[in-house]
Amino acid sequence: MKNNDSLSNEKKLDRRDFFRKTAALSATALAGTSIFAADDDAIMKMPEWATKWGDPVTTNMYGVPSAYEHNVTRRGTELLSSGNFRASIAVTPIHESKGIITPNGLFFSRSHGGTAHIDPEEYRLMIHGLVEKPIVLTLAELKRYPSVTRIHFIECPANGGQEWRATQFNSVQFAKGFMASAEWTGVYIKTILEDLGIKPDAQWMLAEGGDSSKMGRTVPMDKVLDDAMIVWGQNGEALRPEQGYPVRLLLPGWEGNLCVKWLRRLEFGAEPWYCKEETSKYTALKPSGKAIQHFYANEVNSTVTSPSPEIPWTDLKDGAVIEIEGLAWSGMGTITGVDFSLDGGNTYVQAELKGLVLPKSWTRWSYMHTYKKGEKLYLTSRASDDAGYIQPTIDQETAVMGVESVYHRNAVETWEVTENGEVNHVQIRS
Amino acid sequence: MFKLDRKLILSASVFTAAALFVAGCAAGGLGFSKSNSMNAQPSIDGGVFYPAANGKTGPYLLDSKAAGMKINNGRIPTANELKAWDTDVMPDGTGLPEGHGTASDGSDIYDSKCVSCHGDFGSGGGGYPSLSKGNAYTLKDSLLSQRSEEGADGPVRVFGTYWPQASTLWWYIKDAMPHQATGTLTEDEVYALTAYILKLNEIKIDGVLVDDDYDLDREKFLKIVLPNRDGFEPKIDGPKALPGVRAYYANPTNFGGIKVKPSERCMKNCQAPTVKKVYVTNGGIKDFVPPMATAKDLPKVESKGFDAEKSYAENCAACHATKSMGAPMVGDAKGWASTMKKGLAAVYKNGIDGINGMPAKGGTSMSDAEFKSVVDYMINASK
Repeated sequence: MKNNDSLSNEKKLDRRDFFRKTAALSATALAGTSIFAADDDAIMKMPEWATKWGDPVTTNMYGVPSAYEHNVTRRGTELLSSGNFRASIAVTPIHESKGIITPNGLFFSRSHGGTAHIDPEEYRLMIHGLVEKPIVLTLAELKRYPSVTRIHFIECPANGGQEWRATQFNSVQFAKGFMASAEWTGVYIKTILEDLGIKPDAQWMLAEGGDSSKMGRTVPMDKVLDDAMIVWGQNGEALRPEQGYPVRLLLPGWEGNLCVKWLRRLEFGAEPWYCKEETSKYTALKPSGKAIQHFYANEVNSTVTSPSPEIPWTDLKDGAVIEIEGLAWSGMGTITGVDFSLDGGNTYVQAELKGLVLPKSWTRWSYMHTYKKGEKLYLTSRASDDAGYIQPTIDQETAVMGVESVYHRNAVETWEVTENGEVNHVQIRS
Repeated sequence: MFKLDRKLILSASVFTAAALFVAGCAAGGLGFSKSNSMNAQPSIDGGVFYPAANGKTGPYLLDSKAAGMKINNGRIPTANELKAWDTDVMPDGTGLPEGHGTASDGSDIYDSKCVSCHGDFGSGGGGYPSLSKGNAYTLKDSLLSQRSEEGADGPVRVFGTYWPQASTLWWYIKDAMPHQATGTLTEDEVYALTAYILKLNEIKIDGVLVDDDYDLDREKFLKIVLPNRDGFEPKIDGPKALPGVRAYYANPTNFGGIKVKPSERCMKNCQAPTVKKVYVTNGGIKDFVPPMATAKDLPKVESKGFDAEKSYAENCAACHATKSMGAPMVGDAKGWASTMKKGLAAVYKNGIDGINGMPAKGGTSMSDAEFKSVVDYMINASK
């Protein structure tokens, strides 16, 4: 049945053709045996796992990945770290991920004072300020609100931000892995506000964490009354400590740092707070000398995830039909399409979207390629969203933003495939 | 109260709806899909607003019965609880307590509690931010610098040159510093440290240079105007801030966004022939923790960490601690002596492969070396 995969690429294959071809291929496979290849030990020798007891079902009552997957981990680097990896980031191995959900243990982790470990029995959420009735909620009380479940990515706005001037990472994990995606469960803040009543002059909401950094951000009421959520569930279980256990804010599509972890306080006010992480950092300096503050949504973006510098095509055979795959995402809406280029962005064709296409969510795209051994390629993807945006070229983006803004870099990226099938991160610039 | 909420929620929708007619833009043409948001409208962030309509928001079904219910969870906080957590400090002085301290006092505190991370005179180090690079008024001009060319000096983004509000500094020091022991500084200490950092940046308050003897208090603090106070966009102050923010993000040229009709996007000859390929130089940054690797193999096991006695108790004792199972009982010297007549190598082999009622390695996933160490433990415990 393996042959079905290669056939499925041929468009307009009618049923009769399909069965005829399948039958022909299967017949060959049954009758034919290779007299040239050596026997494969993986088939010829009986492995231990086929003859001896496996683990009792009571082993690992909370399951862990196969030991063989030990290299699939988050990774950090000193460059992005202050203080022994406390004010730092560990990024997601997106070269290994498929689909649009990141396992909780691989979800990128950024904190400003280390990962806090909060006792859920002592967890409290305080909501006050310009509300008719301030309240304190326990975790159990918070979870009694009617819940909603949504699939959204969270992205650090510094994703790709080390590469405004030039490429620095020959790695898709570090060039684009400051993000991850999950199915989140929580309550819309507007649902809670039905009880509390908002005073008319409230324009802003302060969200503050209970960790040692007291991470704070100011959120405009538009977002609060739209899709802002207080979440406690991540992919069907409680949030991991690295994601703010027991409770974090989720502002779909917006900068990861706005989705305050270990959330303990929401205050409504008439004026913005000027928190440290919305002044000193997370502001984007432009060539005019002015910096964008309150830069909310992560703009439309995409990347090739396969092949990658990490998992290249060095073992690919001449004539192999190979799926080039990637991610597209937009914090401003829903992905409407992805264009794909084999020449670094001079000529584009339309790639296929696949799987679920959801607002403010990772979206998978794919392009089937017949590989010619020794060919040199420059793989570039370019996504568009339903807000009408398309990814800029590097030149288009730097023309407006310069090279010092650190955050919100969403220009197209390119992976070079060398004659040997190695994959390198390159940038196409004027 | 309920009506008020509704009205406010509605009025927010009206803002976004109003923006719709300026820049409504649905995808189509060249095969690009229409999104499942047929009523796409711009939002405060320049993106699409997905309204809750017809029992759905975007592709998600909504629980129409739950919406609008009054839940009445929780309780009203006490005055002390509010005071304990509501410690933010705003630019207008809301939340800023009375107190005072001199830059000279601040220098002493700095040298004992801050210098290990922030370096001498706030010069930075170890990945921690610098607090000053010198005179903030002069260095503010560096915000116009772009490191487009190799070797060019970049913008100086430290407290004095870049931050818009001094309240941020006071609040952050009080709540989140020192980094490894936050919330331990007194209010006077925070005033003193703030004065010291102002001094390092050569800031003037009401025309007076902050020097060692400058005694900063609440009244003086509220007169601070930092050099880059007006260096940010969009404007977020005042009662009409939100319409300004909406207008800012409705214009893609403000933040480098590109909007084109799908049918007009470039599909061929998109690049000037002069474009260059820029590669990662010298391998780039690769001091990754853990190092980059993609092999699907078993991790190297530190066998010295293996506890044979513990493993025996967990995996073997059920049969080997009692005679009734027919297995040689640990502690039964005679029984083991008989077993050992086969020779140690045979005992190992039988255990690893399994013998009689004994499954291979006792049904465990121990390595051979680990298993042998457990056998050794059992033999020694039976002498």
